[in-house]
Amino acid sequence: MLSINNLQASVEGKEILKGINLTVNPGEVHAIMGPNGSGKSTLASVLAGRADYEITGGEVLFEDKDLLEMSPEERSHEGVFLAFQYPVEIPGVSTANFLKTALNEVRKHRGEEQLDAMDFLKLMKEKAKLMDIELSFLQRSLNEGFSGGEKKRNEIFQMAMLNPKLSILDETDSGLDIDALKIVSNGVNSLRSENNATILITHYQRLLDYIIPDFVHVLYKGKIVKSGGKELALELEARGYDWVKDEVGE
Amino acid sequence: MTDTLELKQRLLAEFSTREQLLNGSRETPLHILRQDAMNRFDELGFPTIRHEEWKYANIMPALLIPFSSAQPSNLTSDEVCNFYLEGIEANILVFVNGYFAPEHSKFISSEVMMSNFEASLKTPIENSRFAKISGYKNESFTALNTALSNDGAWISIPDGVILTNPIHILMITDSREYSPILHPRHTIHCGDRSEATIIYSSHTIGENSGFTNSVSEISVGQNAKLHQYIIQNDSDLSYAVNSSYVHQERNSTYSVVTVSLSGKFVRNNHTSKLAGENSVANFYGLVIGGSKQLIDNHTLADHSVPHCQSNELYKYILDDRSTGVFNGKIIVRPDAQKTNAYQSNKTILLSDTATINTKPQLEIFADDVKCSHGATSGQLDEESLFYLRSRGIPADKARALLLHAFASDVLNHIAIAPLRDSLDKSIATRLHDESEIALLVE
Ligand SMILES: Nc1ncnc2c1ncn2[C@@H]1O[C@H](COP(=O)(O)OP(=O)(O)OP(=O)(O)O)[C@@H](O)[C@H]1O
Ligand SMILES: [Mg+2]
Repeated sequence: MLSINNLQASVEGKEILKGINLTVNPGEVHAIMGPNGSGKSTLASVLAGRADYEITGGEVLFEDKDLLEMSPEERSHEGVFLAFQYPVEIPGVSTANFLKTALNEVRKHRGEEQLDAMDFLKLMKEKAKLMDIELSFLQRSLNEGFSGGEKKRNEIFQMAMLNPKLSILDETDSGLDIDALKIVSNGVNSLRSENNATILITHYQRLLDYIIPDFVHVLYKGKIVKSGGKELALELEARGYDWVKDEVGE
Repeated sequence: MTDTLELKQRLLAEFSTREQLLNGSRETPLHILRQDAMNRFDELGFPTIRHEEWKYANIMPALLIPFSSAQPSNLTSDEVCNFYLEGIEANILVFVNGYFAPEHSKFISSEVMMSNFEASLKTPIENSRFAKISGYKNESFTALNTALSNDGAWISIPDGVILTNPIHILMITDSREYSPILHPRHTIHCGDRSEATIIYSSHTIGENSGFTNSVSEISVGQNAKLHQYIIQNDSDLSYAVNSSYVHQERNSTYSVVTVSLSGKFVRNNHTSKLAGENSVANFYGLVIGGSKQLIDNHTLADHSVPHCQSNELYKYILDDRSTGVFNGKIIVRPDAQKTNAYQSNKTILLSDTATINTKPQLEIFADDVKCSHGATSGQLDEESLFYLRSRGIPADKARALLLHAFASDVLNHIAIAPLRDSLDKSIATRLHDESEIALLVE
């Protein structure tokens, strides 16, 4: 599904991703961990198409298409979804309102019929229930005045609505209380299928108790320096990153 | 310099000619007032950019255009009906080139006195409302209007009348054959405990330039409410200086939403005198600027008694080489304790060559008051744009959505849904957006 080969990216002349290699197949869950500033969000942003980054080398194929050639909206149409680490607040735009436009754009691309207001509302109700979100909440300005946890929940709600093939969750667990963590994890799990895949960026093993990863990778200084199964996360939780850094030779 | 003086000379000559035609009525108080106003205009002349209040609004280029005094023009009903507001059952007062056009007008609210200024001048009592609220001593355009105005809307809402249907004052400038200059004069009186909504829209037919120098005098009685929606939609060759003077009595509310969509040069002077306790003035404005337009809003909230409130929110979306000006003056006079005055100006610059000049002017002579002001300007937020695009919304639609959201703060103060919807559409067109913004905002 996703194949990242020797991806290098820099911002303002500073190299941040220094040759990332990662393959994600349908049905898989990959966890990416790593110290602060190692490049995890940068990788997520580059995959979603943020313009701030300059791609200096390598390639990214999504279902055999060149992902890096696509605009952010095209990537979304193809089925890439990023749950932001820091979702923006947009006053005057309600979640419900913009999501209807978004969903119909995605459907247009998939050759599906446009949803009318009734069908949209029905779908929204269903997904809102899944994420334990009040409908009135979705009529408010997007993320404006939302608590940290509410913003994250809203991200996963949008993911549920858009039904992407590849979801990249950037620290969606940070700032969630224990109940919300369960709700969000259940949401993510219920959306899992053999046709879609998930990349979880996280600092905490706790999330991985709920969403069991197939692979765990450590990103350090712009490179994936170690990969393993779910037990790697436990080891990192217990021992921190120093031993990994030692292995890399620092 | 001689060229720019020419228009002034022509206007002075026009006044003399009119004076000669008056014969017997030259000694009337009205004419004596007009004479005084004309003398004042003669002394003041047109403001130049050396004048602090006109620093960014350079009217000199307009003075080189061969404007001539507007004449009545007969429009067909097809030409006029384009400008009627869809889906709104309104009283309509149509003025073509500043002259009342009864054949295109429509009166449905019999409880209200609506007529035109010219007719109203025949009654001495109403005569007395003329130039009572507006001062022309320091405002040359108001002085000029006071001297030369010969028509405009005249509206009086009797005490206690709650008007269900709005009144639409529809101003059409016909510049097909020449470049007209006109001085419409509007008088609006809201009696005690009355409530009314007045929509004011201006449009142009024709390819020549036009110059509108309008003055509105508005009095809002005790416990009365007046909502005013001003839609400025003149052609991109037109010049307009609109001066509005509001006088508010105790417990009154005056709210105005000014939406400036086009016009080469638009200067709005909006003054509200809060003269009775517990009165509230709300000024909202939305400016959509493009090409080389200049849109200048000068507001004055004049607090002279205690316990009054003024709120101002002006939002600008500026593209190309357009210039926006916002000058918000708040005066809190010594007696006006417990005043609340808020002012905010926010601008989105869509191009590097668009500019906004914003200046709050607070003159506070009382100590127990709450006043605040703020101004922001910047580009459309890239983070927000990326967020929406990452959800599958194409760039142009995402941009439209964000601009619409930005404007909605102001437009939401328009209580008539069909008017809001039609403005949404005009704004989308104005921003050259192909996207179905109407769908986005349903
Ligand atoms: N737009 C930018 N301008 C300048 N520096 C940037 C920019 N984006 C990222 N960086 C830098 O790139 C490095 C990697 O940042 P990134 O956000 O990808 O880290 P991260 O692994 O997600 O960290 P965290 O765990 O704290 O979220 C950091 O040093 C950061 O300061
Ligand atoms: Mg990060």
